[in-house]
Parts: sequence; C-alpha cells; structure tokens
Amino acid sequence: MGEELIRRMVAGDREAFARFYDRYSPLVYPLILRIVRDRPDAADVLQDVFWETWRSAATYDAARGTPEAWIVTRARARAIDRIRSVRRRGETFVAPLDEALAAASSAPGGDAAQRAADRSVVTSALGRLPGPQREVLELAYYGGLTQTEIAERIKQPLGTVKTRTRLGLERLREMMKR
Amino acid sequence: MSHETFDEQAAAYALDALDAGERAAFEAHLFGCARCESALRASREALAAVALEGPAAVPPPEIRVELMRRVGGRADTRSRTDTRRLWLRWAMATAAAMVVGGFFTGMFVAARYEAELGRVARETSRLREDLSRQEATLRTRVAAYQSVVELLRDPTTRVIAMKGTGPSPTAEGRVVWNETSGGQVLVAKLPPAPEGKAYEMWTIAGGQPTAAGVFQVDASGQAIHRLPPGSGRVDVFAITLEPAAGVPAPTGPIVLASIK
Repeated sequence: MGEELIRRMVAGDREAFARFYDRYSPLVYPLILRIVRDRPDAADVLQDVFWETWRSAATYDAARGTPEAWIVTRARARAIDRIRSVRRRGETFVAPLDEALAAASSAPGGDAAQRAADRSVVTSALGRLPGPQREVLELAYYGGLTQTEIAERIKQPLGTVKTRTRLGLERLREMMKR
Repeated sequence: MSHETFDEQAAAYALDALDAGERAAFEAHLFGCARCESALRASREALAAVALEGPAAVPPPEIRVELMRRVGGRADTRSRTDTRRLWLRWAMATAAAMVVGGFFTGMFVAARYEAELGRVARETSRLREDLSRQEATLRTRVAAYQSVVELLRDPTTRVIAMKGTGPSPTAEGRVVWNETSGGQVLVAKLPPAPEGKAYEMWTIAGGQPTAAGVFQVDASGQAIHRLPPGSGRVDVFAITLEPAAGVPAPTGPIVLASIK
C-alpha cells in the first residue's frame, strides 16, 4: 500500500502524494511533536519531511525497509536537526528534553495530543524496557544526544552507555518481532 | 577488532547517537557488511514501530493545503481526471514535437561540441607538452646553479672571465673552474647559433685544445654548460662556432676566450 503510493509519487502522481500524506502524517506528527515540543515548529518540520518525501520518492528502496521506517527515520532526523539547531542557538539548552522526560513519568500540562504522546511511552515497548536501557534509548532517539553526551548527562562511563544502548535496542527488536 | 564493537556501533548508529568520528569509521565498515546492514535495517524497523505505537494525531489542516499547493495540485484531488486527460493528450503531442526537434538540435549540438572537444583536447596536450618541456629546462638549470654553488664553496675553485672576440665582441662569459671536479661556463649576450651549428667549448693547455662539449644559447643569448674535469692545468678557455655535432679539433671562429 505505502510502497505503491511511493511508486506513484515517483511518477509525479499528486493524488498518491495526498493519500500518502493522509495515511502517514497522523502517525508521524505525534513523534515530531514529542521531539520538538512546540506546535509551530512541529508543523514546520512535518511539512519539510513530507515535501522531502515528494521530492525524493525515487530514493525509496523497498529492499532497505518499509515505508514506515523510511518516513519515520526522516521525520525523526529532521525533528532532531531542529532541536539541535535550537540548542546551538542557545535559546534553550536542554530544556525540551527535561520536560519530555518529566512529562513521560508524570504527564502534567500540555494539550491532549501532547499528553497522549507522553503517556504512550509508559505503555509502549520502550516503557517495558528496564529503566536504565530505556533512559539511554530515549535520550538518544528523542533527545538527539550522542553517546558521549548521554554518558556526561547520566554520569555513567561511556562503555556502560554503549552496552545499554545495544541491549535496549536488541530487546526492542525482540519485542517488535512478536 | 572483533565484530562485537561493530554490533555496538550498529545499535548506536541506528539511534544516530554515534559521535562524528566514530560514525565516519562505522559507515566505512557498514558498506558491504551484510551483518551490520541487516542489524541496522531491523533496528530501524523496530524504532519506527515503537515511534508509531502511540495514538495518532491529525496535524493542522493548513499543512496539507500548503503541501498540495507546493506540489502544484489542490487539496481536493477528485474531479480532476477529465481535464487531466485533455492535458495529457496535449502534453504528448507537444512532447512528440519536442523529441523530433530535440533530435536535430541534438545532432547539431553534438557535432559542434565534438569539434570543440577535439580542439580543447589538442590544446591541452600541447600545453602539457610545453609544460613538461619547460619543467625539464628548469630542472637542468637548477641543477647547473646548484653545481655552480657547490664549485664556489671549494676554495681551490677559480672564476675566469671570458671576452667576446671576432663575430660577437659584446659577448661575455665566466668559467667557474675546479681542476679536480671540472666546472661550469656561464655565457651571456652570445647570438643563437645559426641552423646546423652549435658552440663548442675548448680547454687549451700547452697550446693543445681539448673539446669540452657543445651547447646552444637560449633566445636571450644565455647558456650554462658543464665542463668535464680536465687532466691538469688549463691555460686558456675558448668557445668556437662549429657544426652542431661538434668536432674533435676547432675549425670555426673563436667567439669567446679567456683573458690570458
């Protein structure tokens, strides 16, 4: 279904693009929102991501993954780019990340979509990982931190962070297989 | 390095959590490592599935409107089929005409470019030859300068002036001469030798001239020529104009000679 839409997008089929957007944007939007923590920013990023999929539909290779992984990888990367550039500008250092983590455990404030996104963490596959593994995965995937940055932040040796990353991801893969 | 390190890196890479240096190293390994590629694929799928697990949320409708405007269509995608068919027919006719026109234009352009490319290629190879010739000349000259400097370091080296005579009275020369290691003769203001001729250097001892090689001067009338070590004292240094291949005993006019 998704693959067929992408194939038609390559041929310049705008209708296929509209359907692709309708199908995937509600899935990807909460992810972007969760990472950038700001609605106008999230809207910008979402638009960029889908514009990119339209422009570079030809680069999709079914042998290398599902359309879901294709669009999620892009969306996550663009969202992280956005928060990294915000951090670089120094407007906010790591605040969005702290909020995200606090929200994940206690779910305060924010609007409905945001709260839903936060709450989902607890019940998701990620939420079923041991705390330390979940922490490094979240800091990397949603926070955009490198392993060195994570080690500094949680005050653990780099080797520990690396091991937790690998174990956490392996377990996640096991869970998703089922 | 055992593959375990790569497994660890593959996990971090899927999360985009490698530091820049490590990322570059891993990417170099990743290309062609089936194990890492499949691990990466599986990790990305799992992460995507996790990321999409939560409740869906429809984004603000303006984004869809704006995107459809950017791709050149409308948000409403129905009821467009008929006009599109017409447009398609028109577009195909136009395209066919363009293909024919394009073919002839293409042939013309190709012919012109081929000629131009040939010219550029010839020009390039000529320049390359020129450059390598110039480079060779410069190398020879630098070697000669080095040799002169080496000679001058030796306290037994003498510098002997030469004066123009006969056909080239304004010519000048200096011989930097060392009896054991030979020398270099530096010549200026000597006119280039006529076609088929060259200048020949002579070392004269006890009235007996010994050939010391032929040389040409450049367009500015200068030359540096190496002299082989002699078999003893030299009384006079002289240069004559001779057939280009050189002769065993001087036959032509003396153009430069050392002042006795």
